[in-house]
Amino acid sequence: MAAEGRIVWVSGPAVKADGMASAKMYETVIVGESKLIGEVIRLTGDVAFIQVYESTSGLKPGEPVVGTGNPLSVLLGPGIIGQIYDGIQRPLKALSEASGSYIGRGITTTPVDLTKKYHYTPSVKAGDQVQAGNIIGTVQETDLIDHSIMVPPDHKGGTISEVVPEGDYDLETDLVTLQDGSTLKMYHRWPVRKPRPYKTRYDPTVPLLTGQRVIDTFFPIAKGGTGSIPGAFGTGKTVTLHQIAKWADSQVVVYIGCGERGNEMTEVLVEFPHLKDPRTGKPLMDRTVLVANTSNMPVAAREASIYTGVTIAEYYRDMGKDVVLVADSTSRWAEALREMSGRLEEMPAEEGYPSYLASRLAEFYERAGRVRAAGSPDRDGSVTLVGAVSPSGGDFTEPVTTHTMRFIKTFWALDAKLAYSRHYPSINWMNSYSGYLADIAKWWGTNVSEDWLSLRGEAYGVLQREDTLKEIVRLLGPEALPDEEKIIMEVARMIKIGILQQNSFDDVDTYCSPEKQYRLLRLLVDFYNRGQQAIREGTSLAEIRALPIIGTLLKARMEVKDDEMEKLDEMDNMMKEQFRGAAEAKVRS
Amino acid sequence: MASDTLERTIDKILDQTQKRLGSELDGALAESGKTLDGARAGLEAEYDKIISDGRKEADKIQKQIVGSSDLEARNKQLLLVEEAVDRAFTQALGRISDMDRGDSYAELVEALVREATDTLGSTEVVVYTSEKDRDVVGSVLNGFAGSQLADDIIECLGGVRVVSTDGTMTFDNTLDARISRLKPLIRKQIAAKFGVVN
Amino acid sequence: MTSVGGVQYSKIAEIKGPLVIVDDVENAAFDELVEVETGEGERRLGKVLEVGNGKAIVQVFEGTTGLSVSGTSARFVGKVMEMPVSKEVLGRVFDGLGRPKDGLPDPIADKFLDINGAPMNPEQREYPKDFIQTGVSVIDGMITLVRGQKLPIFSGSGMSHNILAAQIARQATVVGTEEEFAVVFAAIGVQYSEAEYFRRTLEESGALKRSVLFLNLADDPAIERIITPRVALTVAEYMAFELGMHVLVILTDMTNYAEALREISAAREEVPGRKGYPGYLYTDLSTIYERAGKLNGKTGSVTQVPILSMPSDDITHPIPDLTGYITEGQIVLGRDLFRQGVYPPVNILMSLSRLMKDGIGEGRTRQDHGEISNQNYDAYSRAQEVRALAGIVGKAGLAEVDLKYMDVGDSFEKGFLTQALDENRNLEETLSLLWKVVSNLPRTELTKVKDKYVEQYYRGSDA
Repeated sequence: MAAEGRIVWVSGPAVKADGMASAKMYETVIVGESKLIGEVIRLTGDVAFIQVYESTSGLKPGEPVVGTGNPLSVLLGPGIIGQIYDGIQRPLKALSEASGSYIGRGITTTPVDLTKKYHYTPSVKAGDQVQAGNIIGTVQETDLIDHSIMVPPDHKGGTISEVVPEGDYDLETDLVTLQDGSTLKMYHRWPVRKPRPYKTRYDPTVPLLTGQRVIDTFFPIAKGGTGSIPGAFGTGKTVTLHQIAKWADSQVVVYIGCGERGNEMTEVLVEFPHLKDPRTGKPLMDRTVLVANTSNMPVAAREASIYTGVTIAEYYRDMGKDVVLVADSTSRWAEALREMSGRLEEMPAEEGYPSYLASRLAEFYERAGRVRAAGSPDRDGSVTLVGAVSPSGGDFTEPVTTHTMRFIKTFWALDAKLAYSRHYPSINWMNSYSGYLADIAKWWGTNVSEDWLSLRGEAYGVLQREDTLKEIVRLLGPEALPDEEKIIMEVARMIKIGILQQNSFDDVDTYCSPEKQYRLLRLLVDFYNRGQQAIREGTSLAEIRALPIIGTLLKARMEVKDDEMEKLDEMDNMMKEQFRGAAEAKVRS
Repeated sequence: MASDTLERTIDKILDQTQKRLGSELDGALAESGKTLDGARAGLEAEYDKIISDGRKEADKIQKQIVGSSDLEARNKQLLLVEEAVDRAFTQALGRISDMDRGDSYAELVEALVREATDTLGSTEVVVYTSEKDRDVVGSVLNGFAGSQLADDIIECLGGVRVVSTDGTMTFDNTLDARISRLKPLIRKQIAAKFGVVN
Repeated sequence: MTSVGGVQYSKIAEIKGPLVIVDDVENAAFDELVEVETGEGERRLGKVLEVGNGKAIVQVFEGTTGLSVSGTSARFVGKVMEMPVSKEVLGRVFDGLGRPKDGLPDPIADKFLDINGAPMNPEQREYPKDFIQTGVSVIDGMITLVRGQKLPIFSGSGMSHNILAAQIARQATVVGTEEEFAVVFAAIGVQYSEAEYFRRTLEESGALKRSVLFLNLADDPAIERIITPRVALTVAEYMAFELGMHVLVILTDMTNYAEALREISAAREEVPGRKGYPGYLYTDLSTIYERAGKLNGKTGSVTQVPILSMPSDDITHPIPDLTGYITEGQIVLGRDLFRQGVYPPVNILMSLSRLMKDGIGEGRTRQDHGEISNQNYDAYSRAQEVRALAGIVGKAGLAEVDLKYMDVGDSFEKGFLTQALDENRNLEETLSLLWKVVSNLPRTELTKVKDKYVEQYYRGSDA
């Protein structure tokens, strides 16, 4: 029986109600006369502590609280892709139809249009045995998404007595009837705080290609992996995250705007329908889901938005798809935790954050992975988690950053100094790291070039040596270095401008294919080796610096399109030519 | 022969000098023409700047004058409207104060007391009212168990002020309090009646 | 909250800091407006921060000085705090709680609006992209402001932020449109002289009749500062989205706002976040800043220029830090430039307008705007490096091209950045000054601009 209690206390998003002895932890409840949605987060005697997902302004002690009997859940079925939801999966479009330009309260909606018809193709027949996770048919959700209809993961299974014939059905239609009389529809619900089960988990071995050179080449992330992108404001965090959401080679992108700017979500909404997926040519919106709980929206729903997003991601993973989830920003999520914890008067740990901050972060990142889905037929999918962190004051030693670093394997450290000098993306190459290099080297070896890993190592070595030499230059000026070291500085500069920097607003440069990434790197490493040799043979640095090929190499990222690799061959020849010319001039003089 | 040669040489020199002079003159002319042109352009630019600066300044002053006189006129109007609203209010209050204390008034008082006791959550209350309304209120209170009429009277147009017996809660339901609560809402309607609000 | 409200409670349990705790409260709502009456009959406004178990915690905006446990009573009004709005608020001066301060009557309200507003639905926002010409070169050229943006000025004590904000308010126009615009100015704990400077400058430019002023001065109650930006924004939203005006809101100084918030948090004995500021400072600030924007299907817009003075000029202090995470860029004033007498002393390397990219270019400003701006960023950043290097190795140790960059630095600061208080430069002037700066460089250094623009605008010695 659902609990029915009364409010006894209100403070911001936190409400206490008594008469709630039959309420369950994490049960969804309806709060007050304006029917606000809330969730039970603590039970003491018959008093329930509730976090309310809508503004509690005007709420009074004495108003009713009614339990729903269900934990906070999302509705999973066709129609999710292309939507923009709030933190508890209410479509923002439906909210605006109910309350206009501003977000109203107490509005109930369904997350997808249950009356919309999809063309269902069954993959089972009467008499078949089904169990949890089995695919019972498919519908085409968007041009890009063929959507598998699955037996819910908590279903006990059974023998099919009847299947509707192929045809157009809405979401409420009973597609499959089992012998025990239970039915399966196009959708089911799943509680957001419970990870969806799978059969086996694999090590990530395939890179998630983002088309961003500093990521793919230097600090790659694997499909099913975890990454974090911390940065002070103004370091281009949002632009970098948008780039990942745009160009990542996954089939589904879930983008969570968690406590961030309203206009950023609007930007995605305006831009994505016009951008084309480089691999399929279809609008990017056809593979994207947005969860938007902006900074000024109720703080408790911000806490829920992360779970809403990751549950949707797992659902598409279970169909055998590669899913990327971008969460901007996990710091705002942690702050929501801190605020609720403060209202609960829990004992705080560092900087007022609750002591369970670390375990909550761990649980979240643990929902990433490459898995064999439950049920049959066999299919493998992945959820890659990328979480932004907004460290206060840009200080990476604050709790959210330090705890996050324990649970992720790729760390893209944004650097305000780089941003101030307009080096974008401002990912600092000395402070960033990737734990997937060894795992994915094989993929690059097979698909691009055998020597990818060693080439990357050579280039990274130049950057590392430059970092040490920079100190000397800072103290003694550049003339203190011999030419053999000056050329390291020069090539490092070229790598920074020609590889690490990438202009997301340039039509060509915004996305870089793996092939082009490798070739550009090859050219610069070759330049380095030839330069070293030339200096050993007596050519001066000034002469090398005067080579016209340098300008050409630096602009190649913008001038050479992905299908024009022959231009890079030409550049290679020009480079050989020019070095030879310099050497001959040396001999003649 | 010698003189011929000499003459020819002189002619040649003269000729060359003339040519050189000519071309130098041409050059100088062109040069001075250029200088003049340049000067003219410069002058024109300066002239334009003086005019545009003057215009900017004039614009500024005009804006300033127009702006503040507009504002003054508007503010006078606001004061006039307020005066009208106040007058309407005073008249209305006068009429309420002189209202007939008949049966319908007793009903009104009962409603006021009921609202107050409902809000306070108890009929164990002390009720204050004006000299004029004491009798009406006294008889109405018979219907509210535990209530009592205060000995003190209060200054008001009508209605009641209800206080819980322990004195911690008060609900002011005098007509004065109700009108002052409504005043901001009524003002717009009165102003509209005077035709001074859009 | 439909109840009539109006019950007056006189059992005060405790008064601490700005808070009054009322006992035996039966019928009060969270966020409800409260009238606190002193023993002497003086009325002060407050609101409910927490209610339950017979207690209500009330935050008194005008401070608790002079309140006593025995003589004080609290009346719960039965609604949240509202601001009366109408077109006639233009040209008016209000106090920090929205009450008339100019000797004129209360505005005759067209509507009463909840001062807390409501969050805009992101799906209903219109992405801002209309260029606002401020007439200030460094903003128009390098940190472009667009309608519906929130772009704060990060300053330090004593610097010229208010003068700059006043200049923006006087000169801001959207070129080529006839739409109405208005200025809402909220003074939050600033000195009388600063507020007066602002009022006068608006009057002198004839802009006062399309301005609304809310003044909470340095000697006004501190807790009132929580309300001041909210009443100001409520009026701004009304003018923008109901009357269709383009409203520029200037909030100065948000540091005082955050300090008032900290005071309340401390009185409630909440667990503090950084530097004693409450953990919800970010969320709270966002409920102010996110009220900027444009909405689908509505003509008007709310553009915010909040000003905040960074304690000790420290940009990592929680107030500028959290602000920067919410706003769409920042205009940072530099102490060095200010000391050198440069006005406006904008440090462009630390400044940024996130919405600039969509507000400029062909059809909005000029085709070459983005590129010439990038080139100037690049050149000025290089100039700063060269200056630093020159400090070590001396000018004699610099290469030819480095010396040219030194010239760029000087030319940028003296020729482009520096501007008179009443100098209103149009976009053409601003852009040609940007070209003039980089014309100090040989043409080969112009790597960020397309050749066709170099042909058209470059005026360097090797042109």
